[in-house]
Amino acid sequence: MKKLYQAVLFVLLCCLTPLVANAQSFRVQCPTSTITHPNAANNNSEPAYTAPTNVNGAIKCQQISGGDGYSTMGDGTQTYMFSFGPLSGLSKIANGQPGTDFPSEFNVPSPSALLPGAPATMATPSSGTSVPIGFGYNGAVGLTADLDAIADGKCVAPCLDGHVDPRPIIDVGVLNGNIPAPLFAIDEDDEFFLTLTNVGMIMRPDLFEQHTVHFHGYPNASTFYDGVPDASVAINIGGSFTYYYLAPDAGTYFWHCHITPPEHLQMGMVGQIYVRPRQDRVALGGDLYASLQQQELDNRTKCDSTQDILCSNPLPAINTAATAASTVVNGGHSGGYAYNDGDGSTYYDVEYPIQIHGFDPSFHFVGMTFNPEQFADMKDKYFLLNGRSYPDTVTTGPLATQSADGKMHFSQPLPSIINIPAGKKALLRISDLDVTEYQTLASLGIPMTVIGYNAKLLRDQAGNNLYYNTNSITLAGGESLDVILDATDTTRYPSGSVFYLYTPNLDHLSNDAENFGGLMTEVRIN
Amino acid sequence: MRTMKMNTTFSKSRLLLVPVLVMLFAATVYASAPGITGTTFNLTARDAFISQPDGASVYSWGYGCSSAPSGFNPPATLMPGATCPTMQVPGPTLIVMEGQTVTVNLTNNLPTSAGNTSILFPGFNVTATGGVVGLLTHEALPCPTPTACTTNTVSYTFVASSPGTRAYYSGTQGDLQVEMGLYGAIIVVPTAVPTGCTAVGSIPAHYVAPGNSAEADYRLAASAYDNPRSCYDREYLFQFSEMDPGIHKNALAQVTARTGCAATSPTCHLDVPTEPYHPAYFMINGRSMPDDMDPNYAREYPHQPYNGNPHMHPGEQVLLRIIGQGRWQHPFHEHGNHVRILGRDGNLILSSTTAGEVNLAGPLLFTTTTTPGLAMDGIFYWTGKGLNWDPYGHNPASSDSTAKLPCTPDANGYNTAATTALNYYEWCQDHNKPLEAAPFGDVAGGGPATLPDPNILANGAWFGGSPYLGPNATVRAVGPTGTTPPSGTIANSPTGEAGFAFMWHSHNEREITTNNIFPGGMLMMMLVDSREFQIDESN
Ligand SMILES: [Cu+2]
Ligand SMILES: [Cu+2]
Repeated sequence: MKKLYQAVLFVLLCCLTPLVANAQSFRVQCPTSTITHPNAANNNSEPAYTAPTNVNGAIKCQQISGGDGYSTMGDGTQTYMFSFGPLSGLSKIANGQPGTDFPSEFNVPSPSALLPGAPATMATPSSGTSVPIGFGYNGAVGLTADLDAIADGKCVAPCLDGHVDPRPIIDVGVLNGNIPAPLFAIDEDDEFFLTLTNVGMIMRPDLFEQHTVHFHGYPNASTFYDGVPDASVAINIGGSFTYYYLAPDAGTYFWHCHITPPEHLQMGMVGQIYVRPRQDRVALGGDLYASLQQQELDNRTKCDSTQDILCSNPLPAINTAATAASTVVNGGHSGGYAYNDGDGSTYYDVEYPIQIHGFDPSFHFVGMTFNPEQFADMKDKYFLLNGRSYPDTVTTGPLATQSADGKMHFSQPLPSIINIPAGKKALLRISDLDVTEYQTLASLGIPMTVIGYNAKLLRDQAGNNLYYNTNSITLAGGESLDVILDATDTTRYPSGSVFYLYTPNLDHLSNDAENFGGLMTEVRIN
Repeated sequence: MRTMKMNTTFSKSRLLLVPVLVMLFAATVYASAPGITGTTFNLTARDAFISQPDGASVYSWGYGCSSAPSGFNPPATLMPGATCPTMQVPGPTLIVMEGQTVTVNLTNNLPTSAGNTSILFPGFNVTATGGVVGLLTHEALPCPTPTACTTNTVSYTFVASSPGTRAYYSGTQGDLQVEMGLYGAIIVVPTAVPTGCTAVGSIPAHYVAPGNSAEADYRLAASAYDNPRSCYDREYLFQFSEMDPGIHKNALAQVTARTGCAATSPTCHLDVPTEPYHPAYFMINGRSMPDDMDPNYAREYPHQPYNGNPHMHPGEQVLLRIIGQGRWQHPFHEHGNHVRILGRDGNLILSSTTAGEVNLAGPLLFTTTTTPGLAMDGIFYWTGKGLNWDPYGHNPASSDSTAKLPCTPDANGYNTAATTALNYYEWCQDHNKPLEAAPFGDVAGGGPATLPDPNILANGAWFGGSPYLGPNATVRAVGPTGTTPPSGTIANSPTGEAGFAFMWHSHNEREITTNNIFPGGMLMMMLVDSREFQIDESN
């Protein structure tokens, strides 16, 4: 009986869908000011955090494509993916950085025509190098003056109001999928405008797949921007949609498409996002405890355990009198805090986002053909750290893959080499979006100190830090945690030494039929 | 199996199936944590067929009531239709008071070839009598004619020593018997009301929209533990398990072949391999999506009485009782916010062992991994705090008085002065803040985001019709080409409920399928409802 209803309604819905889709168009959004950040001149850098009276922060923007692409597995196999790719911050992404822009970076038209496959087809040197990619453009692909609006007197030149020329978007976006998807990084108090532009899946013309972005783990999320197609809107091919969030509490989150999740996640639509804490913006040498006390004065940023059961960073039980170290945001060259700890205990010198994932080659093969998929027997055979298996995890620079269009594309921009300057600390922001099984990552050498779990500081309601040392962590898809590798002991961890992160799920140390590879990478003390 | 066809026909129409399923099967029905009460429970273990949304009837074993229980909670006055059948999956939820001595009498009415059975109550100090001594506890022998048997009933007696949620399950050939469905939950509720918690039956008055009656109190207790931080306003029980249909098919074939065999006969037993394991059904409370969102005690599921269909209003503290049954772990992801874990297996997690310690030390999780045999209690809430726009779409310039409600922040920034306010627990810092750059109907412009015309996006079945919460705001938020989606065609209509729907599901995403069909499996929609919408947990 149920089948009959489904069949009838399927036909109805099937025939209605094209009508719904054809009114869409591409555009981007990145206002230079908002009611929350009214002064455009202040929104292109992170201001110092001094007092609780304003929202502080800045404006951040990013554009991504939803479509398809190919990646290269550790055994050299080209694998078909449903995937997101960068449509802004192209140079940053190719250099392994978050692609997130301030408005002054985003609202910049490309100075020259972007070729299909950009930036891989326009970069020198290209794949497999640690030197910066010779391609400097970070603005929103397609952004152009809105000539019609200027002609109508509705806008004054240059009139970069989000209007785009779809041609470069298609040139760059088609078959330009990345695994993992473009990295986002924002700061607490930022307003983040993320535009998803659905360029279609060229290899699957039979599909009219929509895509969305789910910001996994965002506290007090809105359903409208939660990316669940059943509970909100989904973005059709040929359309753009801008997700809007005020940055949530600091932490390591991740994101993914929420359309048919067993399929779109397995096929590769998974990415990373992290939120840096206000504490990074405390002026160098400022008192961290006093700064957290300032945050306690604003209901939005306070954590009173007697009043709120879902906050994780009350004032620390012990005031260590720690002062603000040099961070990227307060003028340092590297370093920061993972959370608003008030005691400096989450400080790191270098940070590495690491995403665990798995690919089932049979499913990806079926995904490239026009055949139905089986879910119950899905079995991953490639085990990925940032979209790569060992030994690709320790290859510097972006990995490029030739796609069905004959062009090279930067398919896997993120290496997973953990470089730690001797005597320093590294923060690993580990997330897992495997869709089939739990995976364990072990550290051979430097112990892991787990300081955060599921984007929350590990601290009890009385203010005691609940950090623990371990040599392995286990995550399922849909989980994240923060680990510090503390290499301050230069006797044990001298310059030049190499340690390993690897999985003790020993069958995951393989690349399909190859018996050596899989979920493994190196920690190098420099 | 006959269920395999559908997948091939519909694999690429999976998305479109979602609205279809909703329209057909979802009514306005809610969960809670229903079960049976008393100090003595007369249970039986039997076989029956349970139903799955792909049309399959799966041969299963389950616990049930051999005689009427002494009571139901919520009581029949609040939840008409409550029953305890002779076989159900999961087994009856046993609700007992802290400190009481509990006796569970189990009679084995499984097919003779299925052999002995039993129940383990991990976390309690159990005295077992009757039956025969098995490996882990006393076991009840099978008996084709129960009246003639004395060894087919065992008794388990224990003191419900501390509050919390725990699992119970078969202690006999668990690899097969738990797989077949012999598991359930036991909830121990505190006897005292901790300071600051609200006693059952006296929840504060809610806003009641015209035409609605006041909401009843469906809680089992005022708090989850003897701790003031564990007060709650609503509660839901979710038991996660999976099934390999091959095992069930094999068991049925062997049971059928041995019908009428004598227990003493050496061939009167089952030899069902439980490895390799290929589960294809992934269930919450014994049901797969969308069946899990049908009512508790629905007639369509005579052997699967419990649902999974959580609803809540903004600001309500919602207790989640989560149990891993079956044999796999499942990363249960709660969209919308984190969950504070209060305790595991009835053990409250505190920051110190000092007498009187109230500070909680359990983790905050957005993914609560269910582990076989492990129960967790946690608190969830949703307020919309920090969105930086007013989810109620309030507009001080509106002619609609409901659009102009005040928001007076309490010490924590929420509008809580009047418990009867429509926007009770609104986060006041974002009050009247627009979302949209251009005005949308009666919702003011000036906000940061430019919304596309909603009519040109694909709308989900649970999409309330606007970015806003509740019918009032949604109906006022009219796009350039009218409201969307058309009212009356969706599960969460713009004029009726217009709640915020969050997907709660296993993040091992292949488990949100039913025997290879998406959507299905371990998936349910949690709705945060505006207080103008009455949440009725009665069915
Ligand atoms: Cu997710
Ligand atoms: Cu989800």
